[in-house]
Amino acid sequence: MEEVDKILIHALKQVGTEVSEDTASVKHLTGELIVEAVARCIRVIDPGLGSPLPTSLPPGMSARFRVGTSLAQACQDIGYKGEIGYQTFLYSNEPEIRSLLMFLVEKLPRERAEASDQPTGKSVVLQRAVAAAIKAQLAVPWLPPNCRLPLHAETQSPVALHCFHAQPLSLPHCSKGPGKDPLREVQDYQREILPPVTAQPSHHASVVAYILEQHAAELSAAQEWDNEWNSQGLLSRLTPQEYRSRKLIRLRKRVEEQLHSAALPSAEGDFGPRSTSDLSDLLQAFRGSTPSDHILAKGSNFTHTQKFTFTQQPAAAVTGPSVPAGHQSESDVQLRQQEEQLSLQQQFQHLCSEFEELAADMKHMRVTNAQVLDELKQRELGNSENEEKMQLKKKTIDLLPDADNNLLKLQALVEASANRVVNLASQWEKHRAPLIDEHRRLKEICSNQDLESSRKLSEMKSLHDKIRVSTEEAKRKEEIYKQLVTELENLPQDASRSAYTQRILEIVNNIQKQKEEITKILSDTKELQKEINSLTGKLDRTFAVTDELVFKDAKKDESVRKSYKYLAALHENCNQLIQTIEDTGTILREIRDLEEQAMLMLPSVTSHQ
Amino acid sequence: MELSESVQRGLQSLADPSSFDRRSYQVLVDVSFRSLLSSQADPSVLDQPELKQIDQILLKQSHTAATTFILEAVKQNADKSTISSCLEELSFSADRIEIFYSTHQEHRKEVERLLASIGRCPPHIHDASWCLQYHVKNDQVDKINEPFYLISLNTEKERSSDDINFTCTVEQLQDLVGKLKDAAKSVEKASQM
Repeated sequence: MEEVDKILIHALKQVGTEVSEDTASVKHLTGELIVEAVARCIRVIDPGLGSPLPTSLPPGMSARFRVGTSLAQACQDIGYKGEIGYQTFLYSNEPEIRSLLMFLVEKLPRERAEASDQPTGKSVVLQRAVAAAIKAQLAVPWLPPNCRLPLHAETQSPVALHCFHAQPLSLPHCSKGPGKDPLREVQDYQREILPPVTAQPSHHASVVAYILEQHAAELSAAQEWDNEWNSQGLLSRLTPQEYRSRKLIRLRKRVEEQLHSAALPSAEGDFGPRSTSDLSDLLQAFRGSTPSDHILAKGSNFTHTQKFTFTQQPAAAVTGPSVPAGHQSESDVQLRQQEEQLSLQQQFQHLCSEFEELAADMKHMRVTNAQVLDELKQRELGNSENEEKMQLKKKTIDLLPDADNNLLKLQALVEASANRVVNLASQWEKHRAPLIDEHRRLKEICSNQDLESSRKLSEMKSLHDKIRVSTEEAKRKEEIYKQLVTELENLPQDASRSAYTQRILEIVNNIQKQKEEITKILSDTKELQKEINSLTGKLDRTFAVTDELVFKDAKKDESVRKSYKYLAALHENCNQLIQTIEDTGTILREIRDLEEQAMLMLPSVTSHQ
Repeated sequence: MELSESVQRGLQSLADPSSFDRRSYQVLVDVSFRSLLSSQADPSVLDQPELKQIDQILLKQSHTAATTFILEAVKQNADKSTISSCLEELSFSADRIEIFYSTHQEHRKEVERLLASIGRCPPHIHDASWCLQYHVKNDQVDKINEPFYLISLNTEKERSSDDINFTCTVEQLQDLVGKLKDAAKSVEKASQM
C-alpha cells in the first residue's frame, strides 16, 4: 500500500498540488488537499470540464456542499464507476479516496512520453547544445567592465575579432604510388624550403581559417567524388584513373568550344567598343602564333588608346618645349590633341580597311591555290591511266608477229590462272569455315561475360548501398544511445521504478494464486453437484420401485399397508429434511452477504457520527 | 568526426612507432599546439633537435594533419570517447592517445578562445546616461511643450570605448525599450529549446 501511496503522491506533485514532503500516505491528506488534488487532476485530464472547478473548499457549508457535488459530478463524467458524491469530499475515508485518486492518476494523459519522442537529428542535437550554452551564459550575471573576473572574459568583454579569410595552402605531397612521382626539384623544395603550415599564411591570426577551410574543401571534394563515382563511375566500367582522365578531356574540350564561340564575333567585329575584347586577348594567348601585323588590328580598344597616349606623349613632349611657357591655354592643347586623335583614328581606319582587303585577297588566293592543286592531281591521275593503256597496247603489238603461238600460250596461261583461282578459292573456303565458327564462339563468350559483369556490378551496388545504410543506422543508433544516456542522467530521480515494478509483480503473483484457488474450488463444487444429482436420481428411482412393490402387496396385507404408510412418511420427512438443509444453506449465504454489506456500511456510519 | 584522406594518412604516419618514436611524438604534439597558439608565425617551429632525423616531408604532413585534427576536435567539442575512438581507428596505441588527450585538455581553453575569435561583433554597450529635456518654444513655434530624451550609450570594442549619442521622443524610447525586451525574450526562448 505504501508504494501505491508514494506513486499517487508523486503524481499529484507533478500535477501541481502542493503536498508537503512528509505526507507518506493517503490517509494523511487533509480534505482541502484532496479537493485541490482532484480538481487539478480533472483540469489536466479534461480542461473544459475542470476549469470552472475551484481548487479549495469555500468556508460556508452550502458552498462546500455545492463544490462537493460538482466535483463528484465531474468525476462521474470522466468515467469513475464507483460510488461518489459530496460525502466523498466532505467526509472522506481512506479506501474511497485511494481508489478515486488511483482512477484519476491513471487517467492523467501521458505528456512525458510525448516529450521524449522528439526526432534526434543532427540539427536538433546542435540546437540543444546551443540552447544549453546560451542558458549557461545567461546564468552568469553581468558585471560592469571594471569589476570583471576572467570568468566573464569570454562572454562579456569583447575580444579582438578577425574575419574569416582563407587562401590556399601549399601542402607537401608524398609519392602516391601508381601516380606520377613529383619531380626531384619539387621534392627538394618541399623538404628544405616549404615552411610549415602554421607559418604559411600572411596573417597569423588567420591560420585557423586556412586550415579549417582546407580541410572542409578536402572533405567535400571527397564526398562529391564518392557520389559521382557511385552513381556514374561504376556504370561506365572504367578504372577511376581512366574515368578521371576522360572527364578532364571532356571538360577541356567544352571550355575550348565555349571560348571559341565567344571569341568569333569579336574577331569579325569593327573597332567599336567591344565587350568581348578581353576574351579575344585570352584566345590570343592560347593560340600564341599570330603574325605581328595583326596585333594592331586585333588588340583591344584599351591597348589602342594606350598606344595613342604613348604616341601622344612624345608629341606633347615635343610640342611642349617649343612653345614658350605660360602662353598656351588648356583648350588649345586639348584641341590639338583631339585633332591628332582624329587623324590617328583615320589612319587606323584606313589600316583596318587595308587589312580587310588583304585578308580577303589571301582567302581568294588560298582558294585558287587549292583548286589548282586539285586539278593537278586529277591530271596526274589521267596521265598514269593513259600510260598504262599505252603499255598494254605496246605489248600486244610486240606479240602480234608470232600471233598463233602466242595466242595458244596466252590461252594456256589463262586456263592455268583460272585453275589456280579455283584452287585458291577452295583452300580459302576450307580455312574460312573453322575461323567463322571460332569467331562465333568467342562472340558468345564475350556477350556472356558482359552479362555476368553487369550482374556483378548491380550486386556490388546493392551491397554498397546496404553497407552505407547499415553504417548510417549504426551511427544513428549510437548517437541516439548517447543522447538517451545524457537524458537519463538529467531526469529527476523522485519515484523509483523498482517500487512500481515490484508492486506490479506482487499483484500479478497474487492474482495468479487466487485464480488457481478459484478454479480448484469451482471444480470441487462441480463434483459435489454431480454427486448430488446422481444420488437424487438414484433415490427417486429406488423410492419409485419400492413404492410399486409395497403398494402391490399393501392391498392384501394389513402390516404391509402400515409399512407402506411408514415408507411414505419416511420419504416425506427425508425430503423435508433435505429441503431444510438447502434452506439453511441459502440463509447462511444471505447472512454472509448482509454481513459484508454491514461491514461496508459501518465505517460511513461511524464517520457520520 | 570525419577526417579527409590526407589528414588520415598524416595521422597514421604519426601513429607509426617506426617513423615517430615516443620522444619525437611528444615533441611533435607539443609543437603542433604551440604553433597554433603562438601569437607570431614561426617558420622554424619544426626545427627541434628530436625531429631532425625524420623525413621532412613526412614531418610536415604529420604536422599539418595534427593541427587540422586539433582544430576539428575543438570545433566539434569532441569528448574523450570520440577522440579516443577516432584515434584508435587510425591505429594509435593507448599511451599515445593518452599523451595527446592530456595535452589537448591542457590547451583546450586557449584553442577554444582562438576559434571564438573568428567573427564579427558590434561594440558592446556597458553604460548609458540620459538627460531629460523639455522644449518650451523655438523660433518657429511659440509653444511646443514636449519632453525629449538625450541618451548617451557608452560602448566598448576591443578595449577602446566610444559613445553613441542620440535624442528621441518618449514614444521612440518606449519603442526602443520594447525592442530590447523582445530581444531578451527571444534569447530566453532560444535557450529553452
